[in-house]
Amino acid sequence: MTRLMPVIHIVLLALVIAAPFLLPDYRSSLSALWILIIVALTWDLTGGQMGYNSLGNIFFYGTGMYVAAVITIGMAYNVGEYTDAAGGGIFAFTPTQYFMGFGFGLIGAGLFCAACAFIIGSVTFSLRGPYFAIGTLGVAIAAGELVSNWEWVGGGQGISMPNYPGEQERLFTYFSFATVGVVLYIFLRWLYTTRFAAAMNAIRDDEEKAEAMGIHTLRYKLVAWAIAAFFVGIVGAIEAFQALHFEPLETAYQTINLGIFMVVCVLLGGKGTLWGPIIGAIMFHVFKEITWNYFLGWQWVALGALIVVTVVYFQDGLMGWLMSKKPEWFGIRVESRDTPTAEAAE
Amino acid sequence: MKKWSAIFAPALVALATTAPSSAYAAECEEIVLGSAISLTGKYATNGVHAKNGYEFAIKKIKENGGIKVDGKCYNFNVIYYDDESKGDRGATLAERLISQDKVQYMLGPYSSGLTKAIAPVTERYKIPMVEAEGASRSLFNKGYKYLFAVLSTSEQYLASAVTLAEEMAKKDGKEAGDIKVAIAVENDPFSLDIRAGVLEDAERVGMKVVIDEKLPRDLSDMSAILTKVKLLKPDLLVVSGHSKGAATAVRQIKEQNIKVPMIALTHCEAADVTGNFGDAADGILCSTQWAETLSYWDPVFGTAANYEQEFKSAYPEYKEKKVPYQTAQASAAVMVFMSAFERAGTLDKDAVREAISATDMTTFYGRIKFSEAGNNIAKPMVLRQIQNGEYNVVAPSAFASHGLDWPRK
Repeated sequence: MTRLMPVIHIVLLALVIAAPFLLPDYRSSLSALWILIIVALTWDLTGGQMGYNSLGNIFFYGTGMYVAAVITIGMAYNVGEYTDAAGGGIFAFTPTQYFMGFGFGLIGAGLFCAACAFIIGSVTFSLRGPYFAIGTLGVAIAAGELVSNWEWVGGGQGISMPNYPGEQERLFTYFSFATVGVVLYIFLRWLYTTRFAAAMNAIRDDEEKAEAMGIHTLRYKLVAWAIAAFFVGIVGAIEAFQALHFEPLETAYQTINLGIFMVVCVLLGGKGTLWGPIIGAIMFHVFKEITWNYFLGWQWVALGALIVVTVVYFQDGLMGWLMSKKPEWFGIRVESRDTPTAEAAE
Repeated sequence: MKKWSAIFAPALVALATTAPSSAYAAECEEIVLGSAISLTGKYATNGVHAKNGYEFAIKKIKENGGIKVDGKCYNFNVIYYDDESKGDRGATLAERLISQDKVQYMLGPYSSGLTKAIAPVTERYKIPMVEAEGASRSLFNKGYKYLFAVLSTSEQYLASAVTLAEEMAKKDGKEAGDIKVAIAVENDPFSLDIRAGVLEDAERVGMKVVIDEKLPRDLSDMSAILTKVKLLKPDLLVVSGHSKGAATAVRQIKEQNIKVPMIALTHCEAADVTGNFGDAADGILCSTQWAETLSYWDPVFGTAANYEQEFKSAYPEYKEKKVPYQTAQASAAVMVFMSAFERAGTLDKDAVREAISATDMTTFYGRIKFSEAGNNIAKPMVLRQIQNGEYNVVAPSAFASHGLDWPRK
């Protein structure tokens, strides 16, 4: 299995690169899939590996969108004038302004969101279990309401982004998402082999004991959440450019859509594994595309049913189920009943 | 036997009337337009008004012999999708219309918010969109080349109401600085621009803005704002929240017995406030893009009054109410496409875009001429007051047929 891993990874990478060319009509759908994969992987970083179930990660997504917009527009014009409901002037963007905005917007969104995670986390991480979930959800909802009344960024009107200067916009967005996704995967693959991950798992398994062993739990929790926020912020920023226009409550801080979807993806695939969130995101995306296209009107009912079935019957998700059925696939050696150990015990 | 003839007679009449036109239509080819429009959700009322306007115009053009492009005859056919009054849904559907249904020309959605979500998409694919329902000025400062709007921009909606409030207060012996204005608007591009317009005008005159509030998101309750109105006694109350906001305002103003000398709303006709609330709507000022009493004319629809009459006979559900301007301007948008195709003499997208941009025409809805930014700069707004259940034009003075009832009882 381990010898096969490099081959599998090369095949996967080739698939990632070839996908938009093999399925040119599904480029935007593939981009949407990358969003799900990235937010699910980052959600699992705190939710699955550390046991802190945040319902507020969508805060970083929305904030990433707004930070990218403000940076892009702010580098070329006065943001308040650009978003003024009364219009006035023509605000066009040159390709240089666009790509400068894109670059700085992404970096700025990531860093700003990571900083936000430190600040918000230092308050919310004193909460545990459902209180942490509700606390973070409250942050996301409040942020949406605040932004929707903040005139400088357009308030309830939302913000329009400049159009992509060129023809291959779909490929550009796809590869932006894919790059972030691949980098995140490689990073997490490495991270989960370090002592840092062991400490996160210790916090999940028993926070008191972890603390007693000398782990500075708050520091680990903050860093983990900041890493998640960094990537979610960048994804939000790319989505801002992709969406062209977004408004605060339904697109940016969409707590009931993407904010919940990311949790569902992880639950479907399996918490606390590297591949669980990815597989869960793919399953969820396919499920969503099918129900939203063919069962329109029933899509929310179907989604609700999916959540109930997963939570009741497959609490460990697909990966957890596989792990209990085929543990040898995961390098777990199970000794059969008639092994010498059993005899030795007699 | 009598029963049978009762069923057959109208059917025969229908056959007789449709037969020639369908025979004619067979000779004409089709130009496909696309539109994502709100058939459900909070803008559903007006989405349906707009769709009816599109369909009525298409039917009339067909009856008139279709669109003549380079010696050939065409008719419009529109592919509609329901955007559920949600921006991201609208943008997705616009993508679908363009990339899957291969639509080359778009009619606008309903509301400035939805237009804002869709305009960058049509711009992305360089698809000309003539829209009739997005009035916010913030639509026209993004440098969009493929967006054209037949209606007047939002700041003009209530400008004459502010002027009238000033005149009346002065008559009453008040200084402009003593006039108190209360504003309650929806948190969306259209109403925020209405607010921006009123704020600009109030500031210019020197009025005091005592209330400046946003309506709640679902627009179904403004009682807290009205309680404030009761306490602060403004001289002018402005409410803007599309049809649902107008209905909520009229209902709760009555329920809470609010006495303000002048109340100005948008979307009165679309919400049918006279039909739904009767006397409660009396004395309210309503801004409108178009009135059937105005003296505009074009060869397809005839006069504005004629448009209203024929529309009512085609859509009997409007019999008891005003034909809202949302419908009229939707028809006008179809007229712009018709005229542009005929002037371009080709179905080439870029040539048609140039022709739309060069439009300067008179329609039953008023004159249409686009600025560089794409908004119509040739048509004035009018202000009507509901007097004994009738909508009477009271401003601007060039169009006024009635005097203003002031103060509102």
